[in-house]
Amino acid sequence: MNARHPVVTLALAAIVGAAIATIGAQQSTTNAQPGSTALSWKQATTPWGDPDLQGVWRYEAAIPLERPARFEGRESLTDEEVKESQRLEDEQARQRLAGAEGAAVGRRSVAESPIRGNEYNSFWQDHGRPRQVFRQTSLIVDPKDGRLPYTPDAKKAEARSSARYGAGPYESYLDPDTGERCLTDGITALMWQGPNGGHNRIVQSPGYVTILHEEYLDRRVIPTDGRSHGSIRQWFGDAVGKWEGSTFVVDTINFIDRTNYEWASIFTRPSETLHIVERFTRTGADTMEYRITVEDPTTFEKPWTAVIPITRLNDGTQIYEYACHEGNYAMTNLLAGGRADAAKRSR
Amino acid sequence: MRSSVVGVVVAAVAVATSAMWFFQTTTRSESTRGQTFQAARMADGKPDLNGIWQALNSANFDIQAHAARPALALTPAAPRSGAPGLVRATHVELPHPLVRPLGAVGGVPAGESVVEGDEIPYQPWAAAKKKENAEHWLERDPEIKCYMPGVPRATYMPYPFQILQSTDKVVMAYEFAGASRTIHLGKVSDSPAPTWMGWSRGRWEGDSLVVEVTDFNEETWFDRAGNFHSDELHVTERYTPTSADHLLYEATIEDPKVFTRPWKIRMPLYRRLESGKKLLEYKCVEFVEELMYGHLGVIDPATGQKNK
Repeated sequence: MNARHPVVTLALAAIVGAAIATIGAQQSTTNAQPGSTALSWKQATTPWGDPDLQGVWRYEAAIPLERPARFEGRESLTDEEVKESQRLEDEQARQRLAGAEGAAVGRRSVAESPIRGNEYNSFWQDHGRPRQVFRQTSLIVDPKDGRLPYTPDAKKAEARSSARYGAGPYESYLDPDTGERCLTDGITALMWQGPNGGHNRIVQSPGYVTILHEEYLDRRVIPTDGRSHGSIRQWFGDAVGKWEGSTFVVDTINFIDRTNYEWASIFTRPSETLHIVERFTRTGADTMEYRITVEDPTTFEKPWTAVIPITRLNDGTQIYEYACHEGNYAMTNLLAGGRADAAKRSR
Repeated sequence: MRSSVVGVVVAAVAVATSAMWFFQTTTRSESTRGQTFQAARMADGKPDLNGIWQALNSANFDIQAHAARPALALTPAAPRSGAPGLVRATHVELPHPLVRPLGAVGGVPAGESVVEGDEIPYQPWAAAKKKENAEHWLERDPEIKCYMPGVPRATYMPYPFQILQSTDKVVMAYEFAGASRTIHLGKVSDSPAPTWMGWSRGRWEGDSLVVEVTDFNEETWFDRAGNFHSDELHVTERYTPTSADHLLYEATIEDPKVFTRPWKIRMPLYRRLESGKKLLEYKCVEFVEELMYGHLGVIDPATGQKNK
């Protein structure tokens, strides 16, 4: 069962990112792909005339969502930090390729880990190559402090659900987070999941852009025919798309209310007041800027915007079937564990 | 089949003037039987299958011919004894107690066979297993658990699906369980593992999209009647536009582990013509958690009480 949680990724990204610097997209070391130089690239169009964003895309950068405390007040890394970050990324990739995770490194806590970012759960980081180092100190570019602008209540809820994550209690199937229940990790995190099934295939057809997310088999069919929003509330809301020049803009409202569900990270849950605007702009043959603005008075004091560089993988890359619910043995085991715990306590 | 073809043609003529944007390129409305319909074209010259489609039949209950009955799960009535002259001559089956409260909603509508010749050529052991599956429908049908429906079942479930056709990929987006398939028209690597929805390679043959689907696991069924397959299932699908608003869907089923020969199903698919129609969510995992896990936790959320 592959339901790992975005908070883990983001926490990892934060840890790694904190230790990491960047040499900027152009210089990005071993993972630079042929044809990605901005100079030789020209935006292609589909046969019916839309900008062509098709391919398999994934977040491969080592930028934390929120700005780590050590970079407070700074939007970019220094040359030295970039260098150090690159060294660490290379080191980690070497370790991973050498199989020095899991058994060799052991299921260490973050504090025990000999290499930050290589602790337990880093097996989800399936990169055989170093993650890309950028100068950005956080994906969040607005507000300026690079932090999620939680309301005080949301901050408390976030702390509560984070504390529960991995700790329980697991008294029923409603207690694990929605990822562990194989529902979804939420729309806001889909495009930057990175390593854990973070492949996203964009397929275009006349009047539609479809995004197939490997993770949870999530799918978004986004119309671009100028229709207005419908009224049905859904997990993924009601999305309408349009082209602004070569940027694909998606406006999504009408999310269902799932604020009663426990998520380790409450910003990925839908609420009725959630409003998301996403902007996909291809910046090269293999690079895209994914910009997301999230507005939700239930959770945030003001809107926030993240700028996420995503990478196009080679043409042979496939999206595989993520049969999470069909193979959710973890749920049965988790509940059995919960019963065993309860029995122990009552003795 | 003939009468449904006539229906199709009549419907095609009736809607030919309702110009939805995605088939504005259709320049002719064929209304004469026997003439080959010329499908609308994409900008690259390929037939245009884009749209939201749905089967209108009862094949998901049973792909073979079946009379209406009170429920999928039946239980024999107790034998009546006592009053002379009132002993039943024939066996009576009633809805199983678990589905009885559904009344007429739980009934099975009659349906003609979608199987060519109405015969599924099971090997003897497999015929026995099909019967057993039907008898244990409530416990065994993967649809009940919101598992991905597999192919061809996904096509004729009572939910729409959308064809999103690009140049070298075609996405089949199904409403049920949010299942999707990508059909690769170009070269693609082999599937690394068996799957629920199969591994789909497509090609154009005239106006038909022909899809070879392989690499299935053995978990999916063809219908609620217990018709099943093994992991050697190979489905060859053919989607042929027969009017601006109809596709003919044909699928050849091969599985040497289960059947003695290949067999075929066929049915029309209808375009959903509602203005602004979209595929909506049917994320049914939430709907089945109580059924699957309610009894396994310390507490059952349905009752709020401790499980025994």
